[in-house]
Amino acid sequence: MFIFGCSVTAPDVYARAAEPGFRLVAEPDSEIIANAAAGSLFRSYNLIMEIAAPREDLEALVLVHQDAEIADPEFCRKVREALKDPQVGVIGCVGAIDVRNIAWWEGSVTWASFTHRYREFGGGEVQSFTWLQEGRPPYARTGEVDSLDGFVLVLSPWAVRNLRFDEALDSQIHGYDFDFCLQVREAGRKAVTADLKVVHHHSLELVSEPEAWIRAHMEVAEKWQDRMPRVGLPNWGSASEDWKHRARMAEAQAGAAHLERVSVQMQAEARERQLRAELDVVLGSTSWRLTAPLRRLNAVLNARRNASTR
Amino acid sequence: MIAFGCPVTRPEDYERFAAPGISRVREPDSVVYPNSSAGSIHRAYNLLLEKASELENLEALVLLHQDVEIVDEKLCPKVRQAFADPQVGIVGCVGALDARSMAWWEGTVTWASFTHHYYEYGGGELPAFAMHPERVRPPAYARTGEVDTLDGFLLVLSPWAVRNLRFDESLGRFHGYDFDFCLQVRDAGRKVVTADLNVVHHHSLELLDDPESWVEANIRITEKWEGRFPLVGVQIGSGAEDWKARARRAEAEAQAARTLRVSAHMQGSARERELQRELAEITGSLSWRLTRPLRRVAALTRGARRSGDTRP
Repeated sequence: MFIFGCSVTAPDVYARAAEPGFRLVAEPDSEIIANAAAGSLFRSYNLIMEIAAPREDLEALVLVHQDAEIADPEFCRKVREALKDPQVGVIGCVGAIDVRNIAWWEGSVTWASFTHRYREFGGGEVQSFTWLQEGRPPYARTGEVDSLDGFVLVLSPWAVRNLRFDEALDSQIHGYDFDFCLQVREAGRKAVTADLKVVHHHSLELVSEPEAWIRAHMEVAEKWQDRMPRVGLPNWGSASEDWKHRARMAEAQAGAAHLERVSVQMQAEARERQLRAELDVVLGSTSWRLTAPLRRLNAVLNARRNASTR
Repeated sequence: MIAFGCPVTRPEDYERFAAPGISRVREPDSVVYPNSSAGSIHRAYNLLLEKASELENLEALVLLHQDVEIVDEKLCPKVRQAFADPQVGIVGCVGALDARSMAWWEGTVTWASFTHHYYEYGGGELPAFAMHPERVRPPAYARTGEVDTLDGFLLVLSPWAVRNLRFDESLGRFHGYDFDFCLQVRDAGRKVVTADLNVVHHHSLELLDDPESWVEANIRITEKWEGRFPLVGVQIGSGAEDWKARARRAEAEAQAARTLRVSAHMQGSARERELQRELAEITGSLSWRLTRPLRRVAALTRGARRSGDTRP
């Protein structure tokens, strides 16, 4: 049987995203554990694992963020397929190889079968490269990876009973996924991706607390350097022991990245000003103003029509 | 006399921006050097310094990028006023204190009297905080005077600087020449100052088109000046010499900044899509389509009126 677990900090988000996903894929004997968050995500997930571990008939524990909606009716079948390999410890729908730190997306991403739905700016969707069947790039492949994105993690019974999220890391949420995948791999098991379709209902703000993210990045790198190949190395090379050079290089890169971000923001604002100007021209035109009564009349008629059909 | 120098890689830019600005402010005895430039900006500027140092009556050498247009008719008197202090070695219109690396904008910027004029997305202007004090009251931290470094798109050198210093050609092709030169000025005991010189920088919104060479230049300059100059390459605090901790933190900061950049890009695209949807909704509406003939007639009438106006 499958257990679906979620740590809930915003019940309305859970009701809108994770819960309908669970309902879509849960089997008659599945169990859903929606717990109020117990401190950090690490601790909350450990609590769910404690509940799941004694279940003898456990096939998999599915841990999802409250804003992740499983949208794959074949989800359970695909998980069972992946877990046929007894060496598999954890499964996800987004993964990368050559991951050296919690910024797994700066490694080589091999699979990402999710779509990012946002509510800002009238709402919209950014589909990842393997969300759809068609148009997949040549590097798209499921299978073994270094790390998974933690918004959906499917744990094997072995992982549930033998591993725990590291609550000693000074983090509320960041880095738990990379750290857990490293634990799986250190124990000789595999972290793998599978074609699980998930909708991530998430803001366009990707790092809401950069300081906390930076602290988690440093801690996870310190924990794993020399325990796992390449972990804690800089993205650009192998000069692992020349710390002064690494510091100089990274400080310069940080300065450049800050400037590039400002540049991106300036470009976005310029584009917005251009479109707003176009919009102002249209809205201020005589023909648009002349036809305003017609649109008002149309709106009234539509409202009446809707009321009568209700 | 005040001389003007500009290395030119795109003659059309020079003709459009730098040349009109120089014409606007030059004095009858001013000398103007528009030099072609194939190598680094350091080398191109050194050639201009060589030429200017031969001028016996030199009061100042104004070095500007080809995309910089001086719009301040009082530039020459303001430069003279700044150089009334004989300790001043260099003057600019953008400067910052506590500049510890080439990323001087991460220090505390005290003055910025320029407008960034861009041409993408239909074009537009982004006036810096001290460009139009008559329209927008400058913030409390706005003040001219001594700074650690200047932005190099406009540098005004004193005769002493022209005759005694050179841009360091070993540093690269473009980045960091301004910060390094200001450090040289300060190392020699002279002052780096900002003045209320108004310019327009006709520049793309792409602020860093070659991050790799920027990073390399930053490292080279930091290594050149660390230990020789207080605060360059330094972090204040007990962990300042813990290079491992600094490396860990900086690597994390760099990755966070890159992720924030992706986030900014996604937000910008989403905003754009929203406005395009709004625009498409209006231009696709029945009332907009029905009134298309009226707009055509109006456009034709406007066109006819305009051509009528221009008739002799």
